[in-house]
Amino acid sequence: MDYVQQRVAQMASQTDTSSSALLTPLNAILLSLLAYTAYAFLLRPAPPPPSLPAEEPAVVFRTFTPRTLLPYNGADGSPVYLAVRGRVFDVSRGRNFYGPGGPYENFAGRDASRGLACGSFDEEMLTKDLDGALDSLEGLEASELEALRGWEERFEEKYLVVGRLVAVGEEEK
Amino acid sequence: MALLLLQLDESVTGLFGQWNIWTSALFTVFAGFLTYQFVTRQDPDTHPFLLARQAQGSPVRQPGESPVYRPQGAPHGMPLNAGLNVKEPGASKWSRGRDGDLRDVWRQAIAGVQDDGPNKGKTGRILTVLGTDKAIEHSLEDVTRQINLIGQHIADQGGNRVAIYLPNSVELIATLFACAFHNLTAVILPFDEPTDAVISMLRRSAADTVVTAPGSFPFDVVVKNYPSLRQLVWVVDEGSKHLDWNEVPEGTGGAVNVSTWQDIINDSPVDAGKELPSLEGQREPRDITVFWQSKPGQQEEMVRFTSANLVSGIAAQLFALPTAQRLSPADVFLPADSLANTHTLVLTLTALFSNASVAFNSVAAQADDLAIATRGSPSPTVLVATPAALLKTHKESLARINASFLSRTLHRLQVRRIAQSGVFPNPAENNKKLRLILTAERAGADTPLLTTSVLGDLRVLTGARIMYALTAAKVAGAVAQTAFYDYRVYESANGGAAGGESEAHFGPPVTSTEILFRDSGVHKTGDEGSRGEIIVRGPSVAGNEAALGVVGRTRADNTIAYV
Repeated sequence: MDYVQQRVAQMASQTDTSSSALLTPLNAILLSLLAYTAYAFLLRPAPPPPSLPAEEPAVVFRTFTPRTLLPYNGADGSPVYLAVRGRVFDVSRGRNFYGPGGPYENFAGRDASRGLACGSFDEEMLTKDLDGALDSLEGLEASELEALRGWEERFEEKYLVVGRLVAVGEEEK
Repeated sequence: MALLLLQLDESVTGLFGQWNIWTSALFTVFAGFLTYQFVTRQDPDTHPFLLARQAQGSPVRQPGESPVYRPQGAPHGMPLNAGLNVKEPGASKWSRGRDGDLRDVWRQAIAGVQDDGPNKGKTGRILTVLGTDKAIEHSLEDVTRQINLIGQHIADQGGNRVAIYLPNSVELIATLFACAFHNLTAVILPFDEPTDAVISMLRRSAADTVVTAPGSFPFDVVVKNYPSLRQLVWVVDEGSKHLDWNEVPEGTGGAVNVSTWQDIINDSPVDAGKELPSLEGQREPRDITVFWQSKPGQQEEMVRFTSANLVSGIAAQLFALPTAQRLSPADVFLPADSLANTHTLVLTLTALFSNASVAFNSVAAQADDLAIATRGSPSPTVLVATPAALLKTHKESLARINASFLSRTLHRLQVRRIAQSGVFPNPAENNKKLRLILTAERAGADTPLLTTSVLGDLRVLTGARIMYALTAAKVAGAVAQTAFYDYRVYESANGGAAGGESEAHFGPPVTSTEILFRDSGVHKTGDEGSRGEIIVRGPSVAGNEAALGVVGRTRADNTIAYV
């Protein structure tokens, strides 16, 4: 209570000190506030326009032979490519299926046309001779070719075509 | 403790004890300023991220080429914008319409707005601007009648390839539509060319009919040097129509059938030609041939556009305007550039298709002066202007503004505000009617470039938004075009804000084109970005693919620019 009494007495004894000076400390504070807000709203250089992270560089379309396609089998984190009827698809996003350890791993880095058509993942579906002609898909039945077309459509929807597959010696054609 | 409190209390009281009249004034200004800033704050017209990446590159590219760039409006895997989506009356709103052709543009122009809303059924007007304060309105029925009668007349006289050699005028557009409706091939010649250029263009396009105005067409010389001419239609002024234009001077042009536009119209029965040929059983649309003028002294490049090319170019221009800002019957569209220029022609057809009013000004063809082109009545809301005309306006206005410190500072503040806030002040608030300026760089034709800082100045000077396009000989409409809401100003690193060099760009491809860059000399696509000769593909490109012969690149926001 002492404190309150003390203050009241102090205030009562105070004489009127108000003035009409412009440069009182209070006005100085207000002025600087005003100046700062004016600067912030009107003059401060705006932050640079937003920029998005740079795009991934595009994959260059390539011409593969069975031999140059072979390394793209997903081993050691490399991309997983497989070929269907002369078109090379980047199936890296489906690594769980097409990569090492997946059910379709035999197709990685190979021409998978015959295997997909027959619905078989066995080794004998793949073309043995890497330097020979491409699989001409002879001997497939209409239903199997139909199945292959279905696979191709699925691949076109989901994966990128990153190249074409030709037999060794036909790269320039 | 009490002492500390006491001190605090005293200092606060002491501080506010200084409150006086000045403090009140300052406080009022401060509060007012803050309120104003928060009340007038606006979101940018478009999301900044949409401007930060305006086109999408394809994930796979061919060796020796850059990725293929597509605009946001036509992403990869989707068809490019090929048609006008014309629906028969009564068709479901969700059904897919026809691509349409030029005939559908005119049918839409006379049918009026089809979408539900306050404008439903309204049509635009067609005006000829004469001098500064006179404008003649042509009723759409009259123009339809002219289209029918002229087309019928030319077809009856055995015409097949019709060369149009006219300044910007209703007759030019009417002849173009007459050709579309009556199975004729239109050939649009640039106006005001030297005689030998005219003859050479007639010869190359194998025209057998010419629609032109007396005084500008060297009839005698053409007849002597171009015997294939079979038919000529004079478009005669009001002032000289009493002369007998059908009379061919002795010894010249014996084989040429000469008539006048006015006679063909006036000699027909009043009721003739009021109905357009019906939609059912109409023939395939014919091609339209235009001449692209590159540098002075070089021969014009002849380009044949199919009707589908033009329609696709129109569709892309329709799409380029946001829904809220589309052309409407409230707009007055003025082409202050020659209609022989495909970009201007496509924009004019777009305006007709959007039921905007179109004003033709014959002096506009070569006018590099915006003031002359626009001073007539009614004042335009949408203007097509050449970069040269805009630069002239820019130079003159800036000289005036830079004369005083105050106006210069105000101008700079305005330019900065629009560029940085992304908010464009409503033109109506500034008492300005003009709301949009369309202008275009012509690839390989030495047109002056408009940098983003010049465009920024022009936005403030004219109060209108500006869309800057890249155009080329073989592309109907634009190859690429800056976005409607893009007001960004880029000062280059060495120029700085002191008005130095600034970058120019042409925005992303339009929705009817995709662009790629083919390696050319030292300009190769690599890690530092895409660059090379600009190649454009799409339904609006004659022959579906064209190399522009100029070297370009993409900027960080995937807009197209010259190297």
